[in-house]
Amino acid sequence: MKIPFISHTAEIKDSPYSIEVKELTKVYGKFTAVDHLTFNVKKGEIFGFLGANGAGKTTAIRMLCSLLQPTSGEATIAGFDLRKNAKSIKKNIGYMSQRFSLYDDLTIYENMQLFGTVYGIPHKELKNRIFESLKILNLEDKYKTLVYSIPLGWKQKLSFATAMLHRPQIVFLDEPTSGVDPIVRREFWNLIYEAASKGVTIFVTTHYMDEAEYCERVSIMSNGQLKLIGTPTELKETMQVDSIEKVFVKFVDR
Amino acid sequence: MRIILILIKKEFLQVFRNSLLWKILVLAPLAEFLLFPFTADYEIKNVNIAFIDHDKSSMTADIISKFGASPYFINHGILSSRKEAEKEMKRDNIDFIIEFPTDFEKDIVTQEQTVIGITANAINTVKAGLGTEYVQNVLGNYFMEISDENPVLSEQTQLLTTNVYWYNEQMNYKNLIVPGILIILVTLIGAYVTALNIVREKEIGTIEQINVTPIKKWQFLLGKMIPFWILGMVEFIVGLVIMYLVFGISIQGSIPLLLAMTAVYLLVMLGLGFFISSVASNQLQAMFIVFFLFILFVMLSGVFTPIEGMPEWATYINYFNPMSFFMVIVKTIILKGSGFESIQEQFIALATMAVILNTAALLSYRDKAK
Repeated sequence: MKIPFISHTAEIKDSPYSIEVKELTKVYGKFTAVDHLTFNVKKGEIFGFLGANGAGKTTAIRMLCSLLQPTSGEATIAGFDLRKNAKSIKKNIGYMSQRFSLYDDLTIYENMQLFGTVYGIPHKELKNRIFESLKILNLEDKYKTLVYSIPLGWKQKLSFATAMLHRPQIVFLDEPTSGVDPIVRREFWNLIYEAASKGVTIFVTTHYMDEAEYCERVSIMSNGQLKLIGTPTELKETMQVDSIEKVFVKFVDR
Repeated sequence: MRIILILIKKEFLQVFRNSLLWKILVLAPLAEFLLFPFTADYEIKNVNIAFIDHDKSSMTADIISKFGASPYFINHGILSSRKEAEKEMKRDNIDFIIEFPTDFEKDIVTQEQTVIGITANAINTVKAGLGTEYVQNVLGNYFMEISDENPVLSEQTQLLTTNVYWYNEQMNYKNLIVPGILIILVTLIGAYVTALNIVREKEIGTIEQINVTPIKKWQFLLGKMIPFWILGMVEFIVGLVIMYLVFGISIQGSIPLLLAMTAVYLLVMLGLGFFISSVASNQLQAMFIVFFLFILFVMLSGVFTPIEGMPEWATYINYFNPMSFFMVIVKTIILKGSGFESIQEQFIALATMAVILNTAALLSYRDKAK
């Protein structure tokens, strides 16, 4: 069986990759949550990061976002070294965690204003960007609504818009569509495509295999290790099945 | 600067929008402040007193009438014998027996040594202790009076008038309790609310969204501390106004000095709250830690029990008790009216604690999990 790994020999300076991960490992006591992870993500790519529950996806994402200290290994995110340049990385990435983590007791506008300001966006510019993105989300007239009172689907779209306010090069989405209805899921993916078309690298984890088909490339993680990586078509051909779901099931079953 | 301002705005919006937090922060302390001084009142009235008079002189009659005139005592008159007095005390009718020896007046006048027997019913220790002080006070005042009239007696009476209550001459316990409760409230705002607030952000995950931004630790720290520092100061000032309007205690010393000291004390408590929040992983843990420290601070601080009565080792613990230092500062400025010179040591202690705790908080706060 041929597994299409992508080598990472490119120079950092004019690297075609926005994420380069080499032997990234996280060990908790005797448990290895992420085991020598090595992969690259191209600039402007929609990269699907799949895996069963507990496979180590969130642990890996949190390390890449500099929220968790890796045990060993290296990574270059948006051209910056993960160990040396965490602050520069943070300026250039957006992150949407598995749990909804905007402030429930602030309004939509207040949340966006808070995070936009923290990223250093000038006041007037920030205001324009907020209303611009609320317009896209059809939330313009709800900007004074407290976040706790809006439905989950809106919350997820709002989280995404907030994570994109500072126009990051890369956005990490950890199960952004879990628990929302199919219509909102489709709308959400439209937002993702929109962002990718502007050159933003999308790093997304999901449990929905139809969503995996939307990705340019996907990887499958299991027990902390990266087992497969490639375009959805490549993976299906390699595994001789007709859907990513079957690829996934075949892998996780082993 | 913009970043810190937006964080402060965020914190205030959340405090005022959260109706329960609002009540906890403002109404509960004020209610406690208004109620507590009345219940934690150590003042004793209606001390039942009786006399055994072996002397039956004009002097003993004078003294007995002094006790009758005092609002603190109920005079049960002269009993015939020691035996009868003890019987009355056992029935709980009498708290104090004053026994004048034979030739009491004569010994005083001739400056012989003489002893007044004071027997206290010590079932109620507070009543017994304070009652004894009242008795000595009444006796002291009496001998002060007669020594003014008769200078020959002055030497003798010095021995009897050693108990004078400096700075709290009317033995008004509200003067001690009210500032003490004010200190407790400010402590709660500082340590409790800050610790719980940050740990709550950990629990619901919002802190991760903040940590993924390029925000610096000290910006986050200031953004949390300044709002609660302001709330603490406002609460303290409101407390001082209530103290004056309701309890009639006015500040003898400098108000700016008092506020400056409170500002430093709040920094200590905010630093402590912040430090606890980095150690605790959930609100329950944070609450237990703060609660443990809080009880320790209060019990040793001298707010409710006099420090003088504590064993020596306890006074060493007090070197690490910010509340104890602040209690001295507050009492000194409010009741004595002394200036900065007399609270320098306490100020240095608090300032040192503020620096240490806030540094520890800054160092232990992790924007990255291990």
